[in-house]
Amino acid sequence: MKLPSLLLALWRRFLLILAYGAGLTLLLCVTFLILKIPPVTALSSLCIGAFGDSESGHIYSISETLIKTTPLLLTGLGVVVAWQAGMFSIGGEGQLLIGALAGMAAGKIGEKIPSSLLTLIIILAGVGAGAFWGYLAGIMRVKRGVQEVISTIMLNYLAIYLVGWMVEGPLQEKARRVSQSDPLPDSVLFARIIPPALTNGSIARLHSGTLIAVLSILVVSFMMYRTRTGFGMRLMGQNPDAAKTARYPIDTLRLRAMAISGGLCGLAGVIELLGVTGRLYANFSPGWGFTAIPVALLGGLTPIGTAASALFFGALTEGSENLARFSGVSSVLIYVIQAAAVLAVVGAKSWQSLRKEA
Amino acid sequence: MQKAEPDPLARMEAITKRYGTATVLRNISFDIRPGEIHALLGENGAGKSTLMHILSGLTRPDSGSISLSGIPAKIDSPREARRLGIAMVHQHFTLVPAFTVAENLTLDSPVKSIFSRFSAMKSADSALSRAHELGWNLPANALIRDLPIGTQQRVEIVKALATDAKLLIFDEPTAVLSASEIEELFGVLRKLRDAGHGIALIAHKLAEILAVADRVTVLRRGEFVASCPVGDTNASQLASWMIGNRDESSIPTKVDKLEIVSDEKQKSVSNPDSEIVFTAKQLIIRGDRGETAINDLDMEVRNGEIFGIGGVDGNGQSELAEVLVGLRSPMSGLLQWNGAEFKPGVTPVTGYIPQDRRRSGLAVTMSVRENLIFEAVREPEYRYGIMLKKRELTSLADTMATQFDIRTNGLDLPASSLSGGNQQKIVVARALHSDPDWIVAVNPTRGLDIHASLFVHSQLRAARLRGAAIVLISTDMDELTALSDRTAILSSGQLTLYDKAESSSLEVGLLLGGWKPSGNTIVGEVI
Repeated sequence: MKLPSLLLALWRRFLLILAYGAGLTLLLCVTFLILKIPPVTALSSLCIGAFGDSESGHIYSISETLIKTTPLLLTGLGVVVAWQAGMFSIGGEGQLLIGALAGMAAGKIGEKIPSSLLTLIIILAGVGAGAFWGYLAGIMRVKRGVQEVISTIMLNYLAIYLVGWMVEGPLQEKARRVSQSDPLPDSVLFARIIPPALTNGSIARLHSGTLIAVLSILVVSFMMYRTRTGFGMRLMGQNPDAAKTARYPIDTLRLRAMAISGGLCGLAGVIELLGVTGRLYANFSPGWGFTAIPVALLGGLTPIGTAASALFFGALTEGSENLARFSGVSSVLIYVIQAAAVLAVVGAKSWQSLRKEA
Repeated sequence: MQKAEPDPLARMEAITKRYGTATVLRNISFDIRPGEIHALLGENGAGKSTLMHILSGLTRPDSGSISLSGIPAKIDSPREARRLGIAMVHQHFTLVPAFTVAENLTLDSPVKSIFSRFSAMKSADSALSRAHELGWNLPANALIRDLPIGTQQRVEIVKALATDAKLLIFDEPTAVLSASEIEELFGVLRKLRDAGHGIALIAHKLAEILAVADRVTVLRRGEFVASCPVGDTNASQLASWMIGNRDESSIPTKVDKLEIVSDEKQKSVSNPDSEIVFTAKQLIIRGDRGETAINDLDMEVRNGEIFGIGGVDGNGQSELAEVLVGLRSPMSGLLQWNGAEFKPGVTPVTGYIPQDRRRSGLAVTMSVRENLIFEAVREPEYRYGIMLKKRELTSLADTMATQFDIRTNGLDLPASSLSGGNQQKIVVARALHSDPDWIVAVNPTRGLDIHASLFVHSQLRAARLRGAAIVLISTDMDELTALSDRTAILSSGQLTLYDKAESSSLEVGLLLGGWKPSGNTIVGEVI
């Protein structure tokens, strides 16, 4: 590609991002107007919630936003892998929970193992369990033709209730009062990566797990666009008949896509476990695995786009708590806005493709 | 010549239809009178279906006029056609498999009010009694998907009749039926004719036309060839009308001449004693629905030759092609390559030009460049370990695009932005760039204009000169004649060899029309 055309492509991308940003802001304003909240105040209170202000300092708020972003990013990447391969997995939630469950169990069983090694084992257990959960749906599709949309939803229920039972049964805390496990020892958990000096003493919870999530963007990008497997998956997602005719191993690719997608969601589960909660409990996930689908869709099913959209969703979620505090608007409203944003983007996309055909 | 008769039910005059640069119908006139069965005969791509789609409102003509019972009509939708009393019985049924017979029969009936109680049985009553008049007892409460294909077709026919259509169009109705079912269907067609309906019958089997039609019109490549009462003609004449009289070069288009010249030039260079590299013995292949698609077929292909297989679509072509490239396993039979095991893709290196490029050849939403490297991505020379060599793949795609003359505004655009010809060039480029020893091409020029067709042909010839063994499966008899060293016709899962130099076009036409060779009148033995 020559330089001018490269610049032009970058410029176009920049304009696109600008258009998305403007559209989403407009959407927020309209929603606020409908609810009779002054849009400017509401927007600024959202922004302060998500990114802080000069009074309270930016670092703490940004750290909280990134913590909310991390599980959305990883599960979103999981959706990208599966959906790009034409496997419409809805199973992120179950895979995330199973990952956290396996991580917690590994932590309990391996109490005597040196802590840094145990951290690694917990991560691997979580990724492995998530991958297995995804693989199950894959094998049902490949061997028996069961649609993954159905099987992954069912596997979600299995995982949700399995976790519910475990935290009241084998994994419940010693005190046996609440439906939760004992915390993992601090030495096993991820390190806080922001020195307290930067946040005037208040403890920013940002942990090293977020770095793993950022690294995953690169790994997934590499896999989808620079490997044979990724090419095969994308080809299969666009036209399975052509992939078959070109002798791609369709069944293997389907299984791989589901396993990798599940592994990413499982990773989201253990990272939340090791970075934020430290223990497992019944409502461990506020539906990250489901939100992941709009996140990935808003991101155009690309890894980079998904990162941006996960950040947007994370910031909205974090900022809405501040909004609720100051304006009395329920933070649930934010979910309405998130859903409306996805609908707007999907609508814009189909409008674009309609125009192309005409 | 023409008897004084009432106005025909439908008269189509000077109909012309183009798709892009290709003219699929040129100045065609056609009419259907009440109380007659008028057959439309022609090879695949002759334009029969397009002409009837125009009459039934599915397609609009570029020019020409239609009048119904003497009144000019503008038929711009199937709904309008139905209102005007025209119904089409499609080759691929338009029934809902999960609905009952009665429900399917009421699909076309008007809804009176959304509040009125709907009873499928009641609405289907008149249609069912009409079926009864034809001697059919249709199981009103059975689901369509549980019924055998012959019964489904009856439902389809009754559904067409239920709209009080006076003019019925049948698109190759016998293609899916057994011999006894065909007999029955013909009985019904005659009954309908005697009741005063006008029937247009799209067909390519000569015997069927002679058995049931009153009049026949022959089309070839979108041109009108002949029209006459069936009593005034015979199978031989119809056959020669259908495929043209190439021996006298009465219809040499520009393409034919060019091709024949270059073909003869190359023939002299070809190796006369090339060896048999591919053998198939007693090959039996099952289709997707478990039916026998290929029945006990033997074939041999030499290196440096193009073995042409002709015949009308749906006689086992696609199943045979899939077996020849290893995408389908045969039920039984022996396949060998150079006397050893036949493992297409490994030994021999295989190039495949599939029949339907949009369905199985391309991913049109991906970029042109990505579409060019489906196979290359999987070759070790384009990878370091697991990582693709992006630069090498890009330059490979660029080379292929240049070499195969793929015209595009940018290789990063989606393949859907290309014309059909350029899309096909992608498929051809992928099939041929690795210099395969074994090439299977199915209708490689269907839907292409002259230049693109010539290009594909020259690429196949170049591969032949290089020594590749090529199987060309095509419904275009001119293409087969121009390209092939040896030719055969595939009909009902059986292969019949014919010598294109010695067989007259008449004999080929008879073979195509499913007319079985009796005795030794047709030059050909089953190899």
